[in-house]
Order: sequence, then structure tokens, then C-alpha cells
Amino acid sequence: MQNYPEELQTPPVRLISLVGCPDLHPTISTHLLSDQPPIHTLAFPDLSKISFLLPPPSPKDSSESSLSSPPPGIFKRDWLLKHRTKVPAVVAALFPSHHVSGDPAQWLQLCSDLDHLKTVTRSRNIKLVVIIVHSDSKDDINEDRMIALRKRAEVDSKYVVFVNPNDASELMQSLHRLRSIFSELANTYYKDEGRKVKTRIEKRTYNCTELNIRYCFKAAVYAEFLSDWIEALRFYEDAYNKLWEISGIPSKALSIQRLVEIKTIAEQLHFKISTLLLHSGKVTEAVTWFRQHITLYSRLVGEPDAEFLHWEWMSRQFLVFAELLETSSATSLTIPSLGLGTGNKPLTEWEFYPAYYYQLAANYLKQKRSSFEFMLSMYVNVDELERTTESLVPSVYVGQYSRLLEQVDAMVMQTVTDKEFLNDTIAKEKKHQDPLKMITLLKKAYESYSQAKAQRTSSFCAFQVAKEHYAMDDLEDAKKHFDSVASLYRREGWATLLWDVLGYLRELSRKNGTVKDYLEYSLEMAALPISSDFHMLSLRSQDCCPVGPATLEQREKIHNEVFNLVHEKSVLASVEHGKELKVTGDNPVHLEIDLVSPLRSVLLASVAFHEQVIKPGMTTLITVSLLSHLPLTIELDQLEVQFNQPECNFIIMNAERLPSAMMDGDQHDNRVEQAPSLALSSNKWLRMTYQIKSDQSGKLECTSVIAKIRPNFTICCRAESPVSMDDLPLWKFEDHVETLPTKDPALAFSGLRSIQVEELDPEVDLTLNASTPALVGETFIVPVTVVSKGPDIHAGELKINLVDVRGGGLFSPREAEHIADSHHVELLGISCVEDGAKSHLISDEEMKIKQSFGLISVPFLKSGESWSCKLQIKWHRPKPIVLYVSLGYSPLSNEPNAQKINVHRSLQIDGKPAVTIGHHFLLPFRWDPLLLSRTKANPQSDQSLSLPLNETCILVISARNCTEVPLQLVSMSIEADNDGIEEKSCSIRTGSSNLVDPALLMPGEEFKKVFTVTSEINPSKLRLGNVLLRWKRYSRIKDQHDSSIASVLTTQKLPDVEIEFSPLIVCMESPPYAILGEPFTYFIKIKNQSKLLQEIKFSLADVQSFVISGSHDDTISILPKSEHILSYKLVPLASGMLQLPRFTLTSARYSASFQPSMAESTVFVFPSKPPCELAKDGDAGPETCGPISTGLS
Amino acid sequence: MIVCVAVVGHQNNPLYIQSFTEADDALKLHHIVHCSLDVVDERVNNPRKSGPTLNETFLGLLYPTENYKVYGYLTNTKVKFIMVTTDLDVRDADVRSFFRRFHAAYVDAVSNPFHVPEQKLQYQVKAIDDCSLQTIVDYCHLSCILDGI
Repeated sequence: MQNYPEELQTPPVRLISLVGCPDLHPTISTHLLSDQPPIHTLAFPDLSKISFLLPPPSPKDSSESSLSSPPPGIFKRDWLLKHRTKVPAVVAALFPSHHVSGDPAQWLQLCSDLDHLKTVTRSRNIKLVVIIVHSDSKDDINEDRMIALRKRAEVDSKYVVFVNPNDASELMQSLHRLRSIFSELANTYYKDEGRKVKTRIEKRTYNCTELNIRYCFKAAVYAEFLSDWIEALRFYEDAYNKLWEISGIPSKALSIQRLVEIKTIAEQLHFKISTLLLHSGKVTEAVTWFRQHITLYSRLVGEPDAEFLHWEWMSRQFLVFAELLETSSATSLTIPSLGLGTGNKPLTEWEFYPAYYYQLAANYLKQKRSSFEFMLSMYVNVDELERTTESLVPSVYVGQYSRLLEQVDAMVMQTVTDKEFLNDTIAKEKKHQDPLKMITLLKKAYESYSQAKAQRTSSFCAFQVAKEHYAMDDLEDAKKHFDSVASLYRREGWATLLWDVLGYLRELSRKNGTVKDYLEYSLEMAALPISSDFHMLSLRSQDCCPVGPATLEQREKIHNEVFNLVHEKSVLASVEHGKELKVTGDNPVHLEIDLVSPLRSVLLASVAFHEQVIKPGMTTLITVSLLSHLPLTIELDQLEVQFNQPECNFIIMNAERLPSAMMDGDQHDNRVEQAPSLALSSNKWLRMTYQIKSDQSGKLECTSVIAKIRPNFTICCRAESPVSMDDLPLWKFEDHVETLPTKDPALAFSGLRSIQVEELDPEVDLTLNASTPALVGETFIVPVTVVSKGPDIHAGELKINLVDVRGGGLFSPREAEHIADSHHVELLGISCVEDGAKSHLISDEEMKIKQSFGLISVPFLKSGESWSCKLQIKWHRPKPIVLYVSLGYSPLSNEPNAQKINVHRSLQIDGKPAVTIGHHFLLPFRWDPLLLSRTKANPQSDQSLSLPLNETCILVISARNCTEVPLQLVSMSIEADNDGIEEKSCSIRTGSSNLVDPALLMPGEEFKKVFTVTSEINPSKLRLGNVLLRWKRYSRIKDQHDSSIASVLTTQKLPDVEIEFSPLIVCMESPPYAILGEPFTYFIKIKNQSKLLQEIKFSLADVQSFVISGSHDDTISILPKSEHILSYKLVPLASGMLQLPRFTLTSARYSASFQPSMAESTVFVFPSKPPCELAKDGDAGPETCGPISTGLS
Repeated sequence: MIVCVAVVGHQNNPLYIQSFTEADDALKLHHIVHCSLDVVDERVNNPRKSGPTLNETFLGLLYPTENYKVYGYLTNTKVKFIMVTTDLDVRDADVRSFFRRFHAAYVDAVSNPFHVPEQKLQYQVKAIDDCSLQTIVDYCHLSCILDGI
């Protein structure tokens, strides 16, 4: 398509011409070009120039219609170009206004210019427009002059346009107007011209078809100018059909040149028709038309000498149509539904793909090449031909060539004979041969088919590309394409096609000089499933690969070639490097065959163990089976069977070849077996069964089988299990006898190439002891004992693991990682017990400990000896865990990589808290401060405890043993919180922090200790600090070892208390006891600590046991910071535990009332004075808050 | 005349391929048959396009090469029959009828108890079908072939 002239490729565009006033030309032409459809502009600065470009039509042209003899050609070459670039439809003459309205000289000049212009345009029927350019709107032109101008120019008044370039809006208006005028006039012009041509066609004033074709073509072009595509198509088709009339008469032998001309014109007409059809979206019609075009013209081959011209032409047709289809389908991707073609010739999908046409274009190009080469071979001396012929040039008519002769005054075109023409064409063709053109076409087809996901056809194209590269000795590109094609044929099992590709690849590698590739391709070819009765390809084919047709004989021949090379009986001549290819010691060949290699059909190794599990040291059987699809029997020298445990490898020697094989000298330490024969015949399993033994536990797997044929040729074949062995991709479709790789059919379906070797039974006792649950905080000891019962223990290693009992891995919960000690349970250390029961902590080198993991080496133990150690585990929080201990050891030797035996034990241990600590506060006896917060307190509200300010309170701390073992308490104390940060807000006093004799706390028992608390200043909250309790497990055996157990410190924080100022304090004083009938005094002291006057109401109830003197009922006022004392004299009337008269006290200010508790208002009355010495009356005052003795309760 | 007949398995592997030309283009016919599988794939994957041929075993004209026409047929078991002919003017009905008979011959062949499914057919077809296929070679006209098969 790119070779076509520009005017043919694009639709014609209307042309107008501007003359004079060159400043305005760019404005007008840009405006016209932007129009839709656009108008091209031809601009002349000066009126005088126009006659050069538009010469009056030659008289010969006008007389053309009257000619009855056929014209020398069908189309003139430059006609289309002329109408597109030279002959305008409209000429617009631009005059400045002052020329019109100026002095007579200017006017006269204008008139003569106009006359000149008129003579030029009228002869060609070109329309004329006059444009008057006025620079100022005020310019007024004389009306008479205007009429005179119109008359002179012979134009209608509407074709005289005023343009003012200085006024933008006015200019725009004028441009619009100009555009419509130009468009109208141009249409009229082309319509007129078209009508003229059509009249000629209708009148048929001539009797030659050539002119008819020419007129039809012209009419179509004029219709195209008018964008009348349907009419254009009709006339093009007319022209095409008429052309066929002159060319399609078979009886009429056409000369070579005539045929070339006709085909060139047919090509142009067809191109126009296809373009018009495709642009209007009629893809089906275009394809049908193309098919018809090809059917018609494919018959016009012409003379045998010029046949190559025909093939070239055909190739070009396909190429151009492919390009057209590609560009149009890029814009409108609508492949119409099928079946739209003519009834008996339906269209197929591929006829809508450009790829199809590219492929055929390449095919015709190939045909052209072969026919051209044949042609050349007919010529005796081609070089002579090249020298003698002078170059021909295209003549004035499309598709014609002539010789250019230089004469005295001008160049003269001279017609040439067919012979001369042909010689010239051959010479040119020879000069411009492009070997890559075909590859380009095929590659386009390849890419296009690949896009359409037609992989097989694209592969076929790739194959052709590769063959072209191969022919050009471009081996690298050829190999790349051949390889991709071969993989498809391998996958789909097209053996004959694969044979062809491999034949090329084999030859390629021979040329390249790569012995390995050569052997691989040869072996693959020899193992292809092609049998002798596949007779259809026995015919010798031209296209066949370098190796020859695919037959059994050829396979055998290739087989022999390969093994001759391997046996060093022959060498291979490399074309590329001029050296010989051979398999020698300097150049050994090693082939790898894996599970996906195409060479699996050459050698397939199946390995099956007869058992699935064995004990170490036991022997089992292994069957190694080999299969080859090579056509002839091959003899192996030796086989090496390799395992993942190298000490199990063994070699099978061919007994017949033994002496020669032994000469290799590369014998390993491996076992060597002998086989009577290692002959591998076609499609027959060679089965060999041997004993095998492994001392190492784990997986024993056969990895590969290496076949050695002569010292320098080895094939390494991956071992495959019979159970999972895939069929050979090519042979699985073959109708051949299939045999099993092993004699035992069950093994053939279930055999594995790997076996599990078990571990030896451990002969060692590993015990873990932990009788009681662990206590939080203590260092819990777990003794571990290792006793050897059987063989010695070498290189023993003890692994310790602490695991959360709920599973889920290690017990350092990830969510708690932000806490400092994320491990709730921790392995602290391991202490070892030596023979003399002397324990020592093992040094860091001997053990590695992480928080939940430990590793310790066990010393060498003889049979019967034991070794033990103690694990120290600490619980930070109560949690059950599982302790895993595993002992790995080697029973035989001390080597680091020796076989290990593992013994595992596990023990679940609960971690529990040892003690629970409680506390409560007490106020002094018969001493009741008014705490306002208590009176207001909502009973439901969870208010913290409050204490009165400046008073001494008693704090009782209790510790309960909640374990199942007796504990020994060492000390209990309270430690202030936030040492130093807060100034001392209270004083806590106690006896001694350490107990003189550590208290024994049996399970469930409670220990109490009393502290006094006095708040000194008034903080809102009082921090009491932490209770520190030091304890240890109680052991009856008081030995040295036991005392070494460190005591454990348990800490518990005491809650904060509120400190409150109490405005009133009620204090009752009575003697500790009374004696029947003896009076005593009962004081009630009310202390006002506030700065306010307090009104207190009180009452005292009578009781039968006492006679009372004093006021029963009153309201008193107590001054600030003073004390009021109520005193009563009481005489007991009965003895025993008696209730004192109860009194009630009410504070008006705080609306709080108070009544002492029963315990507070009780006194014991003796019947008579007791005989023992009692404390004096005064000492028995109110109970003071001194240190209270501690003790167990 | 028919130049090549092929049976292609459902993995697109050739089960049977026989050409009847004296010329040396057997390999070319192999390529043509192999490439035509692309069209079969496309027809099967885009049945919408083929319109009336939906659910039909006969796939019609696959594609015209320069000198041959390739027809296809797809059985229910996804076995494809491909036929290559040099006749330029062939009636669809004739081709259909040919394929129907060829299908019957194929069924006979695979009914052989010694035949392994999905394996090549050469021996069975040879035994059962030799004479009928030979007829195809002898007669150029399709109608004659149909009588013969």
C-alpha cells in the first residue's frame, strides 16, 4: 500500500485557487482546510503567474472523444494528481479596494488582469469569484464601478465578496461566506465535469473499451470529489468490469506489457473499491469482492517467462488487502456474522483476519521467488543482461514503461518490445531482491495469528519464518523459531510434523557445531513414534526437512549415526566452523533427562523399592527398570544408581563390557554389581532387582540413574516412581504393546522411588519427677534422670521446652509482650547432680537457655550408668504448663554427624499461688469519730475505706496458705510505696518485721499481723504501700540442702484509704469490770474538734441491771475545740455480762445520730470482789492503741 | 477430489491421518489439518458466530487455502474429523453426508474390542475401512465417494 502514489491512497479533496493579495492567503486557506469536508487551496501571489500553472487544454484532449482508434494507454499517470494539485475548481481573484475605486490607470490594469484570468478559467470551465479587500469600512466604492466590475468579470453579484482584514468579526463573517461560496461553486464545477464525462459514457461516441474505462474512472473520481461514495463505487466497479472485458478473453493472447498494464489498473481500481467498501463498513462485501478479484485474475498468469510478475502481483494484492483490513478493523472491529457470503461460497472466519492475507501474500512471494529463480537459470549469462539493458522509466500511462531517449531539443519516450521490457524487469528485480521481505510478511502473519489465539497457524507461520532464516543461514533466529514450533508439536503429539522441525534443528546444530544439541535432536528423532507402515510419508517430498522423510528406516539410520558418533567410529563435519564434531575424552557429552524432557522416550528410568518402611541396617529390594523407544537395541556399559544418601549409591556393570569399563579407573567406593547384559531393546523394559541397605534413618530416595555408553557419553536420567510416572507424551497415543516396569504388577502401580528408614529403638530411661504443683514465685525444681540401659550414650543432648498447656505454641502470649516480663513461666537454670550428690550449676558454655527453651549436653554414659540434673523453673503467674524433655544421643560413636536416637518425655505442671493476703482496719475501742462521708454514704456505692485524721487505727494483715503443702513464713512487713516521692503522710508502726521463729503455716491456716496506722497530715488519699511476705516451703528434713532453698517474697499492694477530718469524737469510758453493788462512773466524752458550735442532743435509756444517776435527756452546746463530759454513776444490780445503759447521741448540725454497738456497751460484773489482784481503777481506762502482741490465731 | 482425511483426538492429537495424493505434499496436508484445528477451536469456543450450526456436529467449511478446501466435523466425544478436498465447488449436503458415513466408519473402528480409547487408529481403520477409503482415492467426485464409502 505504501508503494501507491499518495493521490491514490487518500480520497480526493476539492481544490480552489487564490490569486492576488498574498497577505490574506494564509487566513483563507487555513479556514478552508478546517472545514468539513476540507478544501485545499492553491495560492498565487500574482495574476500573471496563473497562466503558467494552468495552461489551456491541449487541442488533442478535446478531440479525444472523436478518436475511434484505441488510445495508447488506459489511464494517464498524472491525471489524478493534476486534478488534486493543479486544476482548481474555483479561482478567486483578490483585489484591493483602492484598485477598484482608484485612478483610471489602476482600474484599467484590473480590467486587463480580469480578462486574462477569464480566458484561462473559461477554457476549463473553472468558476470565478471576485474578492475585494478593503482596509477600512468607510471605504465606499462607486456603485458604477461595482457594476462595471461585475460585468467585466461576468460574475453574479453574490460572487463578489468584500473582505475587511482589519475587523475581526467582519472578517470571520466574510470567511464563512467565502467558504459557502467556494463549496457551492466547487461542487458545481465537479458536478459539471462529472456530468460531461457521464454524457460521453452514455453517448458512446467512441468504440474502444479503454476510453470507456477511463471515463468511468474519471466519473468516479469526480463523484469522490463530491463525497458521493455510492456513485464513485458504482463507476469504479463499472471501470473494473469493463477492464475485465478486455483482459478476460482467454482466446486473446495478451502481450506481457499489456498484461502488466491491465493488472496495474485492475489493482488500482480494486484498491479504490476495497477502500470505499471498507470505509463504509461493508467488510463482508469487501472480502467477497477481493475473493472475486483474485479468482478472476489468478488465471491471468501470462507467458511462462513473465510468470514471476504474476506471482508478485498476486502477493501484492494480498498484502495490500491485508493492510487495508488491518487499518479498517483497527477502527471498527466488527467481524460480521458468518454465512453472509454468497450462498454456495460462504465466508470463513479467517477471511476476516489480516493474518490470512499476510500468510498468502508470503506464499505467493515464495512462488514468485522460485519462478524467478527458475527464470534466471534459463538465462545463459545474467550479468551480460544486466549490463546491456538500459533502464526503462514509467511512461505517461499507468502501467506502461518506455525508454527515455535524449534528443536534440527534448526527451522522447520510446515504446519498447516485450523482450526488452522483460530483460529490464529481470535486471531490476535481480538488483532489488529483498530476502527479508518474505520473513516480514510471515512474521506479520505470525503475530496477527498469535493475537487471534490461533496458535497452530501462528506456529506454522513461525515454522516458515524459521525455514527462511535457515535458508539464509541465520541460524540463531531459525533455532529460536524452530524450538517454539517443536514444543507445540510435542505437546499435541504430531510426530510427523515434529520430525520435520527436529530435522531442521538437528541440521542446524550440526552447522553450529554443537555436538550435544545434535545428539539430543537426533535421539529425539530416533525415538519418535513413527512406524514403517506409516506409509503415507514414504514419498519423497520437496519440502521435507534435511534429514529426509519420516520413516522407520530413517529412524534407524539416525540411530546408527548417533551411536557411531558415540562409539567414536565416525566424526561429523560441521559446516559452520569447518571442524569435525566428535565425542572424545576432550569433548565428553552428558545428557540430562528430567521429568519434562522430550528425551524421556529415549531413556526412561523407573525405580521402585519393594517395601515402604525399613529399619536401619535391614536390607530390602529395589527394582531399577529402563525403557527406551529407540528403534534399535542399545548396549549400556554401566549404570550408576544414585540416592540422596550417597553411601547407598551403587554401580551396575555390564559383564560383557567389564574389561573395557574397568579401564576407566574412575571407580568409586560404591558397591559394584554385575549384570549379565545391559542391552536395551526397543519398547521393552530392562528390569534389574538388587538388595539395598541403609544405616541412616530418614528418607532414602533414588534421585537419578546414570547410563554410561562408552567413556565419554553419559545420560543422566531422573528416577521416577512407577506410581506417579507420566505417560510419554508422544507414545501414549500409539497403539503399541505396553508392559509394566516391574514384574510385580502391584509394585508397578504403587511402587515408590523413596523409602522411609526408621530410627533405632531407644534403650534409655528418661524420667521427670514433679510430685507437687509449683508455687508462684518460687524456684521450682524438676529432677531429670537419664539411665542408660543398653548401649553407651555418646554426644547426648537434652532439649527442654516449656509449652502452654492449652497448646498454641510457646506460652509467651504475644498480646502480653508489652509487659516487661512477658514470660509467665521461665526456665531459670539447670543444675547438675554429680556422683557424690554434690550439685553445681552448669556453666553457660554447657547449656543454652532461653526463657522457654533449654539445651544441655549430657556426658558420656556407659551402659547402666545414670545422670541427672535439676531444672529450675519459676512461675511469675499461676499457669499450667507442659514440660517437654527430649534426649537425643548417638549409640555408636562420638562423631557429630552420626545417627541420632531421640527419646521424648513430657510432664504437665500446674503453677499455683502460695498464699492469699487479706487485710482489715480497726478503730480504738469505744472511740468513735464522726466521719461525715459515712453518714452520707450511699450503702450501694462502693466507696473506699476512710480513716479519721490524726487518729491511730489498727491494720490487721492476714496471710492464708492456699496450697497443699506446709509453708514457713519468714517475715511480713509493709513497705511504703513510691519511696521518697511523697512525703510521709502516715506512720505505720509494727513490732519486728522478722519473725523470731519462722511461723509454720499448715495448708488452709491463716497468719495475722497487726499494724497501727496514724495519719499525720491530710491528704485526700493515703497510700499504704505493699505487704511484703517472705516464705519458703517447709521441709521436715532439716538438712543442708533444704536450708539452701531461698525464701520467696510475695508482694501485694494495699488499697488506698481516704483520710477524713472528724468534727466530733465520742469516747466512752467505763472500768473494765464492776462488782455487784459497788458504784462506778461511766463517762461519755464528746469532743468538738470543729471550729463551730455544736448542738448535741442525747438520751440515755434505763436498764434493769443498773441504778443510774445523771441526766437522762438533754440538749447541750459544745464550744469549738472543747470537750463536754457526761458522767453517770452506776450501781450494778446483777452480776455477769451486763448491758450498760445505752445512750443515743444526735448532732443537729450534721443530722447524724450515734449509738454505741452492743460490744462497746457491755461490762462484766463480778458478784464479789475477785480474790486476785486487779488493775487499779485508773489503769483500766479506755483501751489505748499501743502495740498489740502478735500471734497466731 | 478428497486429498486427505484425518481423525483428531480431543487433545488435538492425530489419531488417524490418510492422504490420497500421488504428489509429494503429504507433509503440507499434515500442516493444513493441524492448522484447521485452530478454526475448529474458534468455532467451538464462539458458537454464537456460527449461528445455525450450533449444536451441530458438522462444522462446515473451515477455511479455504489456495488450492484446497478444508471441512470439519466434531463428534460428541470431541473427536474431530477433518477432510481436505481440491474440489472448488462442493455442496454442503454432500460433505455432510460424507462425514456421516465417515463417522459411522469411525464408530465401527473404535468398537473393536482391541482398541484402546484415545489411541491411534491406524490398524483398526486399516482392517475395517481399507476398501472403503480406497474408494475415495479412486473416485474423484464426491458423490461417487459417498456411494463407495
